[in-house]
Amino acid sequence: MTTRDRAFRGSTAVVGIANTPFHKRGSATQSSAQLTLEAILAAAADAGIDAHDIDGFSSYANDDNEGLAIGAALGVHEIRWSSMVWGGGGGGVAAAVNAASAAVATGQADMVCVYRGISEADAGRQSYSKGHMGPLLAGHGMFAPAQVCAMRTQRLIEVDGVPASALEALVAAAYHHAQNNPDAVAYGKPLDPEVYADSRMISEPLRLYDCSRENDAAGAVIVTTAERARELRQKPAYVLSAVQGGGPEWTESVENETAYTSAGFHPAMVRRLWEGAGVKPGEVDVVQVYENFSGPAVASLIDLGLVPPGPDAARVMRFENLIAPSGSLPLNTAGGNIAEGFVHGFGLIVEAVRQIRGSSPNQVPDAALSLLLGGPMAPLVSATLFGADSVL
Amino acid sequence: MNEFPGVPQDLAEVVERHGQATAAGDNATVLADFRADRVGQLLASARPPAGMHSAKLLSLEPGSDGLYEAHIRYTGTETEAVFRSRWIELDGTWYVTQVRNVPDTPPQTSAAHPSDDGVDAPHWEGLRRGELRIQHCPRCDRWTWSPRPICPGCHSPELDWPVVEPSGRIFSWTRTWQPFSPEATGHLPYVVVNVELPAAGNRRILGVLQDGDGADVRIGAEVKGEIEQPTDPANYPVLRWRLA
Repeated sequence: MTTRDRAFRGSTAVVGIANTPFHKRGSATQSSAQLTLEAILAAAADAGIDAHDIDGFSSYANDDNEGLAIGAALGVHEIRWSSMVWGGGGGGVAAAVNAASAAVATGQADMVCVYRGISEADAGRQSYSKGHMGPLLAGHGMFAPAQVCAMRTQRLIEVDGVPASALEALVAAAYHHAQNNPDAVAYGKPLDPEVYADSRMISEPLRLYDCSRENDAAGAVIVTTAERARELRQKPAYVLSAVQGGGPEWTESVENETAYTSAGFHPAMVRRLWEGAGVKPGEVDVVQVYENFSGPAVASLIDLGLVPPGPDAARVMRFENLIAPSGSLPLNTAGGNIAEGFVHGFGLIVEAVRQIRGSSPNQVPDAALSLLLGGPMAPLVSATLFGADSVL
Repeated sequence: MNEFPGVPQDLAEVVERHGQATAAGDNATVLADFRADRVGQLLASARPPAGMHSAKLLSLEPGSDGLYEAHIRYTGTETEAVFRSRWIELDGTWYVTQVRNVPDTPPQTSAAHPSDDGVDAPHWEGLRRGELRIQHCPRCDRWTWSPRPICPGCHSPELDWPVVEPSGRIFSWTRTWQPFSPEATGHLPYVVVNVELPAAGNRRILGVLQDGDGADVRIGAEVKGEIEQPTDPANYPVLRWRLA
């Protein structure tokens, strides 16, 4: 580990978090800008700061609202940082947190807001895949990310031998957790295993409940320095380590990725994540793994070394093992994209921070290491490892 | 006497009535026949002929997976279409759980054309001449797909587009049932295969597998490519695949 990596570890923290309600897609009366502002004001209130003091903005997935426009609407005193993570759709979710942390850690800004908002009224249908389904895909009937992820999941199952039960366990855990989260779209709607198995096929091998479905909603989190974080009202969720990108022969390749059944977290990236934090995979207390679809999420956990590859994946990917508080790998503890709500994975950031605070609807006791994984099987993937002050 | 051997009499009556209701535009009856949790998918799966006015039940027989399979011909003002519906009994009532147009034809999409930056244009122009062309670097002999402005290996800007034998192995595949685009309607479900091309350094290229609906598709299976010319010559052809 280099001095540079150590300088990043624990130098910034998330101090404010908020989601708007997860509205059924197409049903929100607000624009995406209004939803985003609602989330930012709530995150600022959560942090106990004046939203005028936000001095930086970071987003991803070609969000419709530029940081400068959001800053103007908030009437902030000054904008010192405004960045967009290029490409990769939801793969940029952790990268947007990482960009905010990088800005704060290097003194480019002091109080950076990470945000993402979707309202079908202005973003249109399938805003999550804007610009990703070019002629060499759509010309052959590959219209949607679901089909790309299905094709990769098919090989994950058929060649690598990952059992389909691993996918189902992940979905079952998400729905289970959503039953304790009144804000989740699946709250009060438990998923019967027979309903899962008999649900309509979307693109083989993915059925309806293997797929996340987008909402009209927004989320915001606020990142500041560790020093400032300690003065604020919430328990800080420190950024211990952060990675993003695409490995060799991976990105934007129209299904020519070398590590085809990987989620995109290549070995060098994974090593950098663990070494940057000084943490081993087995030490992580809780994981929020982006599930655009169940198969890519399982591939992420394999990439990170949290789940063994191939048929052995079933040893870890069992329902009882994936639920809080008792499982050894509790994941998507608010319900995730699939059962809490989909704003391109933003809810996963919020929940990763709640676990450090101790305020999750499915709290893992004394969670001190909380991992966020973004964007599996997208051209860009990213991860952030959050820690409590006990691990600094 | 039941004219459909092996088929419950009540189902025969339901299917006959369903065909008549569909032709008559009796949407309430048609929707009630669709399995409730997949109405949207079923509605957008099959494409009826314009000006549909009559229906004829061609066949009804026991099919796979415990489903019963009906073929109904719908006649419109100028064209006709045959739908194959599959029926399931749930709590004593018969429902359509799958429906498609037969024969199985691949979707022709308006997305089949060179990208805005034109980097893949030689590929599409090659298809117009009946040739599969894949980007290649003559300097370092690297095959590149998808195409790039320069060779990612040696950074040469001088790239060529050799004609490649459209033959290879299925690297992966998916059978799509969800109508993600209106252009898929009438062709669902269809199979897209990702094919490794030994003649192009095992680069992979996508394409619809002909007759993929009922096919036993396996990774590793040999496939042959064929170039399908568009109905409208202003559009571009596309590569289709067939199990060898």
